[in-house]
Amino acid sequence: MSHDEKTPETPGPAALHGLLAEYDTPAGILAASQKIRDAGYSRWDTFTPFPVHGIDKAMGIKMTVLPWIVLGAGLSGLATAIALQWYTNTFDYKWLISGKPFFSIPANVPIMFELTVLFAGITALVAMLVLNNLPLPSHPLDFVRRFARSTDDRFFLLIEAADPKFDEESTKALLEGTHPAAVETVKEDNVTSNKLPKVLIYGVVILTVIATVPFALAAKARHATSKQTRIHAVLDMDAQPKYKAQRRNPVYADGRSTRLPDPDTVAVGDLREDSHFYRGKMNGGWARTFPPQVRLEDATMKRGQERFGIYCQPCHGVGGEGNGMVAKRAEELQQGTWVPPTNLTQDYLRQMAVGELFNTITNGIRNMPAYGPQITTEDRWAIIMYLRALQRGHASKTAGLPPATGGTN
Amino acid sequence: MAAATDINPFVNPPAGDNAFARITDNISRIAEVDKPPRAWYIAFAAALGLLSLFLVSVGYLFWEGIGIYGNMMPVAWGFPIVNFVFWIGIGHAGTLISAILFLLRQGWRTAINRFAEAMTIFAVICAGIFPGIHIGRPWLPYYMMPIPNQMEMWPQFRSPLEWDIFAVSTYATISIVFWYMGMIPDFATFRDRATTFWRRLAYGIVAMGWRGSSRQWHRYERAYLLLAALATPLVLSVHSVVSFDFATSQIPGWHTTIFPPYFVAGAIFGGFAMVVTLAVPARQFFGLKRIITIKHLELMNKVLIATGLLVGYAYGMEFFVAWYSGNEYEVFTFVNRAFGPYAWAYWTMITCNVVSPQLHWFKSVRTSPLATLLIGMVINVGMWFERFVIICTSLARDFLPSSWGYYIPTMWDFMTLAGSFGLFFTLFLLFCRYLPMVAMAEVKAFHPAAHAHAEHH
Amino acid sequence: MATAKKTSKGKGGGSDRKDEAPSSAEPKKSPKAKVDDAALQTLVPGVSDNIRLGGEGSALFVKAAGIAVVSLGIAAAMGASQGDDFRRFSHSYLVAFAVGLAISAGFLYWVTLQHLVNSHWSVVLRRIAEVFAANAPVLAVLSLPIVLPVLGGQALIYDWADHAKVEADHLLHHKAPYLNPTFFAIRMIFYFGFWTLLSRFFLKGSLRLDETGGAEIIPSMRRVAGPAMIVWALTLTFCAVDLLMSVDAHWFSTIFGVYFFASCVLCVHAMLTLTVLWLQGKGRLVKSVTVEHFHDVGKMLFAFTVFWAYVGFSQFMLIWYANVPEETAWFKERFAHGWADVSWALLFGHFVFPFFGMLSRHIKRNRKTLAFFAVWMLAMVYLDMYWLVMPNVLENPEFALMDVFNVLGIVSALIAAAAQRAKSINLLPTKDPRLARSLAFENI
Repeated sequence: MSHDEKTPETPGPAALHGLLAEYDTPAGILAASQKIRDAGYSRWDTFTPFPVHGIDKAMGIKMTVLPWIVLGAGLSGLATAIALQWYTNTFDYKWLISGKPFFSIPANVPIMFELTVLFAGITALVAMLVLNNLPLPSHPLDFVRRFARSTDDRFFLLIEAADPKFDEESTKALLEGTHPAAVETVKEDNVTSNKLPKVLIYGVVILTVIATVPFALAAKARHATSKQTRIHAVLDMDAQPKYKAQRRNPVYADGRSTRLPDPDTVAVGDLREDSHFYRGKMNGGWARTFPPQVRLEDATMKRGQERFGIYCQPCHGVGGEGNGMVAKRAEELQQGTWVPPTNLTQDYLRQMAVGELFNTITNGIRNMPAYGPQITTEDRWAIIMYLRALQRGHASKTAGLPPATGGTN
Repeated sequence: MAAATDINPFVNPPAGDNAFARITDNISRIAEVDKPPRAWYIAFAAALGLLSLFLVSVGYLFWEGIGIYGNMMPVAWGFPIVNFVFWIGIGHAGTLISAILFLLRQGWRTAINRFAEAMTIFAVICAGIFPGIHIGRPWLPYYMMPIPNQMEMWPQFRSPLEWDIFAVSTYATISIVFWYMGMIPDFATFRDRATTFWRRLAYGIVAMGWRGSSRQWHRYERAYLLLAALATPLVLSVHSVVSFDFATSQIPGWHTTIFPPYFVAGAIFGGFAMVVTLAVPARQFFGLKRIITIKHLELMNKVLIATGLLVGYAYGMEFFVAWYSGNEYEVFTFVNRAFGPYAWAYWTMITCNVVSPQLHWFKSVRTSPLATLLIGMVINVGMWFERFVIICTSLARDFLPSSWGYYIPTMWDFMTLAGSFGLFFTLFLLFCRYLPMVAMAEVKAFHPAAHAHAEHH
Repeated sequence: MATAKKTSKGKGGGSDRKDEAPSSAEPKKSPKAKVDDAALQTLVPGVSDNIRLGGEGSALFVKAAGIAVVSLGIAAAMGASQGDDFRRFSHSYLVAFAVGLAISAGFLYWVTLQHLVNSHWSVVLRRIAEVFAANAPVLAVLSLPIVLPVLGGQALIYDWADHAKVEADHLLHHKAPYLNPTFFAIRMIFYFGFWTLLSRFFLKGSLRLDETGGAEIIPSMRRVAGPAMIVWALTLTFCAVDLLMSVDAHWFSTIFGVYFFASCVLCVHAMLTLTVLWLQGKGRLVKSVTVEHFHDVGKMLFAFTVFWAYVGFSQFMLIWYANVPEETAWFKERFAHGWADVSWALLFGHFVFPFFGMLSRHIKRNRKTLAFFAVWMLAMVYLDMYWLVMPNVLENPEFALMDVFNVLGIVSALIAAAAQRAKSINLLPTKDPRLARSLAFENI
């Protein structure tokens, strides 16, 4: 749309589109607008590089209907949000989330607000464009070279020849009475075609048709069955070479994957020959030493302390004395059925073999559940290592401690 | 109109016999000049470098999995969410400048609103990437949208994370709508000044055929006002919804009712800090000193003091009510923040957010571009640390001491964070080069020469 | 030269005022008010207006003071007749006092803010606000029925005022370093003292500006406004915490100060509207305050209706969502035994209805409709305070005449004090350098 290059090329005079006046100040165009408005013209407009303050009134422009359209769109956004959340979480697939009602209005408010704003905002732009008749690819004014400054620093006023009051001479005189910088005639645009370029039409049609293909394929796929497995782009360990519960197992005659272990077999890794390590037994009795796999070093002690804190401390207490939070709470409740956790620092437990302690942790005792499933074998030994430290600490007297820690050694 | 070769207005003053023409030339020639200023190339090279870092980091993340990050129980939410909240926060200043300052009739916003809005959009893009990549199966983000699927499942609308999806999407969309609509008249200016066919076509298409008809301006202005009026509560809601991610939980330090306005104030605070961080070099290197003046910087710095104090108020209220509530977990959380293993992060945050903006009480500081730039960057660091402190200290030490842990970010965490700045600056520099950096039509409308009163009044 | 649309108010540019009919634009002149032409002052070239209250002010003072004394007396009598040692009366009084506090402290905030942001449009309204803001000492006196029983160790409202109750309750015991009568009284003195000093500073400075027109006065007030705003925010927050949040001392909410702040701002804009309309009805400020100013006041009334809803929703939803008993107990009380109706009334009355009602610019630019919403919002603020406080003493919501007399009494007292202050000063800052722009102000 360069104003340098387009010139009417057709032979014969193009019809008159209108008269264009140019002004170089906002005051000028305001005054001119008032005159044209008062003269009773209806098909005319001004063109300014920015919205001139007061020109709405000067031209007699009425308030647009746009705000109402936007309000309507906002309300429909609100309705959509309510309907969406009600339908999905309350009607179609009800599911409880932390005890909240199916239709939780407080939880639904944020999205209600967002969709209201979204619909209203998009509508503001689209309605503005539609009401403004945009996009407007061509206009007779594009042929007027000086009009390029309408987006720069000059103000223009155009009275169209189609206006009932238009008369080339008297209108021109009226315009010149408003002291413009220049007055020009604007010819109709009989060069640019009125029709959309064929490329555009074909392109849009073809693209629309192509765009329906994925939806059609999806619809077909939803309603048809297929022997082929679906396309699975990111495997993400989905197809694992192992037998799952309901899967066919060709190894066995009955084809079942779910079965009891075969007699006289043990799963790989389940043999657990090392009685010392896995069961705390040595030579038919409880082991009194730690198994060689357990490294008696600082890291193990720290691990034991951490694991003790997680698993044992709630009942047995931080110091192992049987006064953990759970125990205290149970006493408060005084239900009568509570068996207090053992005070692990008692002498008989100091004497007890580590293997027996290991067995208690693994299999439980009295009301204490089995912790074997929860705690790995290594960790259980680490806990016992820490427990020994606790027991020793509890039994020690200040006499045996180095002076730096307050002892009287 | 031959393109100016040097955009420095002190060397090559903008062409034009009146103020409007000079504004047009000053800004348009930035995009028209053959070569952008050398500073642009240097910045762009650095930005591209960081962007490549980002692409490599994200690519490796998709390949290897979330294990490359430092996220580990108990701090299951680490850098990715901190970065998300950080970037969303930065975006808020643009909308504030565009929408709220418009409603408050502050004419000075016209010099900065265009690139602030651009900053918003790029910040939201950076922000939106993080939730997408940190979820472990990044090829399934569509699960979060209510699309009918073969599992017949719907998203869980009672979750603040789902509200986040809607809030951030709405925010991105409306910001783009507002930004684009603001640019239509300026695209028309670019189109009318274009000297090559491709420039004319490109700008002409996005200008939609705008010719500045007053009847069109009337509807345009109404739409602009409506969008500003919509964007104002929107920007408040977005960061409020982000704060709901944390405040709806029961974790001490997270569950507190002041989070929504506190986060919004913090977002505006951090966002303005980023705006001034960008404004100082932009005006320097793109010859915009007469448009983005010292007065503009001063006003922005005053906003920084105000929002910084709002954030400080929130810190204070949290602290007071934590004690007042008598809840030992709450009390511990705040003592732990200040004196626990993350004390270094906490005091960095306090220094950067509460102490540094107070320097702007001094006129000499707030009218100095260098001080503005430095304090802006310090505040950005502080705001990042604020999110880090909130998220990581509360998770690292919550109710059960046996569950406590310490979060150690990996180098991939840092690289992704640094890389996100690359994405942001790449987009921003491209914007500066090809799009109207300042809202010409709005600057003209607020220029004194535009306020002519017709004689009959 | 005048176009058909030109109205008699103010000097304006080409603004689009097609939406008001001229009849609603003319202020209703009451038959008794004589516009004393001698009182007309030229504010700026071309604009003169009656800006002195004079005898009307004294008349209003007498009426309002009378109403205040009588109303509070009747309320006290009704309170005595309840036979509960004034427990219900104290709560009712506190509700009314909270509204008065919102009005006075709100006006002080508004004045500080206008100075802080160097606002131009609001200059014509600032003197009215300064006059109301200076009510802090009156408010201090009005606070005695609340403060004195606390000092006396009586738990009329606050359980923590009673030493025995504090000892018996673990949480109250924990809060005792803060919630104890002595510290409470010291804080009250500090709040009212600060508000008194600040409001006097602004009012005196503004009056001095009227006389001397000194160029350094406005900048000096702006410099004070910054730090003053910080202290104001803290005093308001803690006053709200002390008086309202500690009614149920087990409960807490970090956003409570902001919540009360929203009510303050609503009260300011509602009172500004009603005050100016009353003044214009008496022939004052007829030309100075135009529909453009009312539109802006209306916008703020609308905006803060939304803001109140936002803060209230944040507070409610977060507590509802986490469902932690120590926090939800407070809301459960307000959903039990008929209080649910009040809660719903608050949602629809304080937000939904005024939101849609005040959305349109036509409503905000019409004095009658704006006045309606001003009164409505004040009533809603009262309902809000009622809902905050009364569940502590009433199992079922029960509105009584005592409540009406209390609020009538307190608000009348504030109006009386304002009228007394305003009767012999200019009703707008005549030598404020921004006055001309304020008079010519046009809205977008």
